[in-house]
Amino acid sequence: MLIKLAFRNIFRHFTRTFLTFLAIALGLALLIIMDSMLTGIDQESFDKIINYETGHIKIFDRGYREDEENLPLDRSIEKPGSIIKELQKDQNVAGVTARINFRIMLSDGVDQFPAVGIAIDPKDDQTVFLMKQSIDKGAFFDGDEEAMLLGEGLAEDFGVDVGDYLTILTRTKYDTYQALDLRIKGILRTEDPKIDWSAAVIPLGLGQESLDMGTGVTEIDIKLKDPAKTKEFRDTLAKEITGVEVATWKDLAEDVIAIAQAKRGGSAFLLFSVFLIALIGISNTILLAAFERVREIGMMAAMGMRRRQIIRLFVFEGAMIGMMGSIAGCLLGILINIPFVKYGLNWGFMMRDVGDFGYRITGASRGVWNPTMIIVAFVFGIVISALTSIYPARVASRMEPTEALRKT
Amino acid sequence: MAIARMEKAVKNYKVGKVEVPALRGVTISIDEGEFTSIAGPSGSGKTTMLNLFGCLDKPSSGKVFISDEDVSTLSSDQLADVRNHHLGFIFQTFNLIPVFTAFENVEFPLIILKKGNPAERKERVMKVLDQVGIKDLANRRPNEMSGGQQQRVAIARALVKGPKIVLADEPTANLDSTTGEDILKLMKEMNDKTSATFIFSTHDPMVMDYAKRLIKVHDGQVQSDEKK
Repeated sequence: MLIKLAFRNIFRHFTRTFLTFLAIALGLALLIIMDSMLTGIDQESFDKIINYETGHIKIFDRGYREDEENLPLDRSIEKPGSIIKELQKDQNVAGVTARINFRIMLSDGVDQFPAVGIAIDPKDDQTVFLMKQSIDKGAFFDGDEEAMLLGEGLAEDFGVDVGDYLTILTRTKYDTYQALDLRIKGILRTEDPKIDWSAAVIPLGLGQESLDMGTGVTEIDIKLKDPAKTKEFRDTLAKEITGVEVATWKDLAEDVIAIAQAKRGGSAFLLFSVFLIALIGISNTILLAAFERVREIGMMAAMGMRRRQIIRLFVFEGAMIGMMGSIAGCLLGILINIPFVKYGLNWGFMMRDVGDFGYRITGASRGVWNPTMIIVAFVFGIVISALTSIYPARVASRMEPTEALRKT
Repeated sequence: MAIARMEKAVKNYKVGKVEVPALRGVTISIDEGEFTSIAGPSGSGKTTMLNLFGCLDKPSSGKVFISDEDVSTLSSDQLADVRNHHLGFIFQTFNLIPVFTAFENVEFPLIILKKGNPAERKERVMKVLDQVGIKDLANRRPNEMSGGQQQRVAIARALVKGPKIVLADEPTANLDSTTGEDILKLMKEMNDKTSATFIFSTHDPMVMDYAKRLIKVHDGQVQSDEKK
């Protein structure tokens, strides 16, 4: 009966109830969509980092990471072959490859742009990374050849295409100048801004020769069969291989992780804002309802309703508005999220102008389904609505029956 | 046998910093089954007496007894229980719950009292609605009924749980004289049919005529007590 009464009471003032309901519904829908998109961006960024930059685990020469930003060639792993062979035998390992990362200036004879050179093993690289699958135009390396793959953003900046030539200006391991005139064999479209906007990729043999690296590389990259074992495997490798540093992709992607954490702070702020909207809306609605129904409260008290029963009645009303708002908010959020999950949202219009700010997306990113967040949003909508109704309900219940009955 | 009584009941209200006396040491006893009117001009203390008998208020000093139980020292929850079990109320402005039908309004006190299962409640509510002559209006909401019909629902609501005492604060004040008289006749009939004691306040001479006992109050004191 109390539930029936509460349910009917909330429709006494439809417009007011509807506005409160709308505030909750829109707040929760926004929360679900924001969470979906931000989690989607996180997930895509992490995937890009693993698939194009780090693999699951990287091995460096000891001390490399202290000067990592400058991509030092003198901190190299001189004989990677034995380590790679051992790793290839390991049952946990899905693929191993070696790379050299080095600073370059790219020039077409007129313009020069700073970029990053990546020397990759054309054969082994595919066991860890997705470079080959990301060729948008032209072709991947057939072997050690004198050619380069260029990120599509750089190709656009230079106005070059497959078959054109660009010059790589760099310094060797011994700090002498080196220039390589290379034909563009393929254009890469990875949607990772670190590759698309700033990478020129050459075969490892060519890189080792032109940079005076001998058989050396700056990193060994590992892909695991079970990504969940990444941390455990890192610790094992760190113990087994001496003179090197071992890092997981998470260790190396601190920028993205930091952004993801900041985002969680943003989500918490959003959650707080929704709290506040619900709090003000529900509290106001219930308080108004209480003041409007003073005589009714007096009558109920006269009939023998106890204070806590009167409080329960108003809390029911708040919880019901909250429940309806939560159901509508979750449904609306799910409905709007469907195209975001299916087609994604294209950030390309702003990414190139504002910079990648750490996230590894250049175009569309898809939302993800996060059932936990939907359940949390739903429960939160009801609980917060009920909780914020307690104060006005207590105000209503504190009225003396005689006083309440006298009110007009 | 006394069903309700007051012993030297004093009630003072605070208006700002000033204490205003509403009752000045009233001692009175109401017997079971009486049809009593408390009459007097505005501010005479009749509503205060009704509130004390109705356990809606506590005396500043003195004692109030309902069925020999001293209710003047009970907590608000205990008073709520006394009202719940023993008292029925009829208000001047009906005070029906607007979102409930007549049936639901009458059923409401039984729900609060947790009395009977749905089928038993339905039978009881329909019987009382029949007694007050509005069985056919059971599914109407208050805004679909006249003032007289609404007051009949209020009477049914007051009687449905079989209270020992029914208290009515100026029950005909918001009704035209014909409807008011009908309501008084109904209350009288209910008083005869049930064992409930009726105590009502009024300043309407027609209402006073219907009472079997007329207690006149003035300035917070009983001026006369006349049984007919």
